[in-house]
Amino acid sequence: MAMPFPEPIRCKAAVCRAAGEPLLIEEVVVAPPRAHEVRVRIICSSLCYSDVAAWRLRVFPTVFPRIFGHEAIGVVESVGEEVEEVEVGDTVMPVFLADCRDCVDCRSERSNMCSRLPFRAQTSGMPRDGTTRFTDAAGDPVHHFLAVSSFSQYTVVDVANVVKVSSEMPPEKICVLSCGFSTGFGAAWKVANVDPGATVAVFGLGTIGLAVVEGARVQGAGRIIGVDLKPDKFEVGKRLGLTDFINPNDIGDRSINEVIKEMTNGGADYCFECIGLASLMLEAYRSSRLGWGKTIILGVEKNMSPITFDSKEILCGRTIIGSAFGGLKSKTHIPILIDKYLNKELHLDEFVTHEVGLDEINKAFELLIEGKCIRCVIWMDK
Amino acid sequence: MWKLIHFLITAFLQSPKKEMEDKTPKPIKCKAAVCRVAGERLQIEEVVVAPPQRYEVRIKIICTSLCQTDITFWRMKELPGLFPIILGHEAVGVVESVGEAVEEVAVGDTVLPVFLAECGGCAGCGSRRSNECSVLPFTMRMGMPRGDEASRFTDAAGGPVHHFISVSSFVEYTVVDVAHVVKLHKPIPPAKAALLSCGISTGVGGAWKTADVEPGSTVAIFGLGAVGLAAAEGARMQGAGRIIGVDVNPGKFEIGKKFGITDFVNSKEIGDRSLSEVIKEMTGGGADYCFECVGLASLMADAFESSRSGWGKTIILGAEKHGSPISVNSMEILRGRSIMGALLGGMKPKTDIPILMEKYIRKELNLDDFITHEVGFEDINKAFELLEEGKSIRCTIWMDR
Repeated sequence: MAMPFPEPIRCKAAVCRAAGEPLLIEEVVVAPPRAHEVRVRIICSSLCYSDVAAWRLRVFPTVFPRIFGHEAIGVVESVGEEVEEVEVGDTVMPVFLADCRDCVDCRSERSNMCSRLPFRAQTSGMPRDGTTRFTDAAGDPVHHFLAVSSFSQYTVVDVANVVKVSSEMPPEKICVLSCGFSTGFGAAWKVANVDPGATVAVFGLGTIGLAVVEGARVQGAGRIIGVDLKPDKFEVGKRLGLTDFINPNDIGDRSINEVIKEMTNGGADYCFECIGLASLMLEAYRSSRLGWGKTIILGVEKNMSPITFDSKEILCGRTIIGSAFGGLKSKTHIPILIDKYLNKELHLDEFVTHEVGLDEINKAFELLIEGKCIRCVIWMDK
Repeated sequence: MWKLIHFLITAFLQSPKKEMEDKTPKPIKCKAAVCRVAGERLQIEEVVVAPPQRYEVRIKIICTSLCQTDITFWRMKELPGLFPIILGHEAVGVVESVGEAVEEVAVGDTVLPVFLAECGGCAGCGSRRSNECSVLPFTMRMGMPRGDEASRFTDAAGGPVHHFISVSSFVEYTVVDVAHVVKLHKPIPPAKAALLSCGISTGVGGAWKTADVEPGSTVAIFGLGAVGLAAAEGARMQGAGRIIGVDVNPGKFEIGKKFGITDFVNSKEIGDRSLSEVIKEMTGGGADYCFECVGLASLMADAFESSRSGWGKTIILGAEKHGSPISVNSMEILRGRSIMGALLGGMKPKTDIPILMEKYIRKELNLDDFITHEVGFEDINKAFELLEEGKSIRCTIWMDR
């Protein structure tokens, strides 16, 4: 039976035309998927701080106009040639980190950095040919973001960036697995492999930090210390497993690392930096125990500043590890996380604190920038 | 009968006194190479070495070898309080006397003094993940690690001479805490044994314990001094598939081949390109393990950039010469890279050095080719010149020549 050839689709999208300016709800045309591509009707998408950071960027590698958003869930509307992994009607999550399952890295347990479609933050088109599938009302190209671009009712994504998931779960609850939650939870689970009884310090209690707390709790950590400037993060954190809280504004002259070393008799076994500030990464490093302390860097440095560490103390057995997406392979691990959620082994519900329709997407930005939400879900058809 | 009574009386009267004379160690006058001013030639002077106190061991040094870290501290003008000091920390000797509560070694044992302690009873010593003793952590102390924490050395004027990292081996007799002493269970030529008390253990251990290099992997070693060559040897023993050596001295390639180095990059002959560009090209993306074995923050950054994304590990073994911080690209670290450092290659001295001794005896570990020069104690400054000029790997300094 001949399949009808997919047509371009006109739909609504939130377009960014200038750095830091409110997104504009416009009509865009979304081209059909080419070979190895999948066109997805987005159900909902949540705002992640990486969207905000990129939205504010005035200099290279930023480009305009652009459709942001990279944490989402949707339904396959059409597929291009060579796509066998998913079918029209499947529920899928687009993920910014590719999982081609075929290259040296994808085949290795040690890596999640696909080398066939390597992650490039500045990518503004489709990963294989670099071109865009979006055009605006005037017929001009609108650029992609992180190979996902989910602030649109329809988007086109490479099949390597797509994970098939169950359609039985509330989409707004599991949407956060396509970036933020997996990054944090995976870091505690896979990257650090936190051992039972360990002491963990988490710097920054946004979505990633709170997901680290949840991951550390599931791993059986003995003590989980949260560091944040907002006191109300302690309450949320406690529900996920936080045992101690440090507000850097309330420690007087002392540094965070002095306080942590005192609390832990020498330093934490694992320190996670979940914000993206070189100065905090150094603080996290100094808070880790000599002998075996590990510092895990998850935050994307806001100014792309280099990270600087003492060269003497690293000889005393410290390790610094960085990872993207919590060291997880999207196609292998997202389904595992969904199972854990279904079996009530992990908490996701606490992460969604607000919901808006596409027309109110700028409100999501305000809420996140003001620190008033964890995840704000944006419904595409409302 | 009278003979018996006479014998018993003389035995009773003589033996306690004789025991006391034999048992109580006395201060020893001997020669030491003392450093009094940063960067100036060492002077051979007479010093008095006090007897070992509780938990301490006095060792007659057989031979010692010069390590780059001795030179780093010898030059340290910024720390005038360091001097006068007896440097040296890579050595082998014989136990001359022991203090109270020492049961692990006895007079006459051949031992290695090691700058890193292993008390055997603390959380750090008990953990498989660490070689950092929590009871006697590594610090720049200038006296003994426990007890009065003072120096056991006094010079001719009666003033104290500082210890160096709990060893001080540029002297005929030294006093070391028993937690810093490793016994040799089998005979090994002393000059080879001494190497295991620092440099070679640091390198081999780095590949074995810290990195746990996997068979078939690609390794890049930055700096082919004793530590770097030992890291190559360690990587070879772990079954690495390819070992790239990076140095500015082309002569290092020949000697490097003896330790398993398969490729050589001379950082001065790569034109405009950066080291990491060259290594990434050679390895199709970066090495699995990169070892920094010099102690330069810029080289540590190069090593990091030369490591493969996904799983690349950078192992810092060099002590940064100026204490400068390491600076790495924040985006690149998110790609699954890690950086770790270790003292003594992550090895626990008492547990792991004997394993390397066994490997040497079974000819699985090459120690012989590290020793390129030998001098007598009076010529110790020549050892410094040879190392500074890059002409030696290890120069053994014999105490009795």
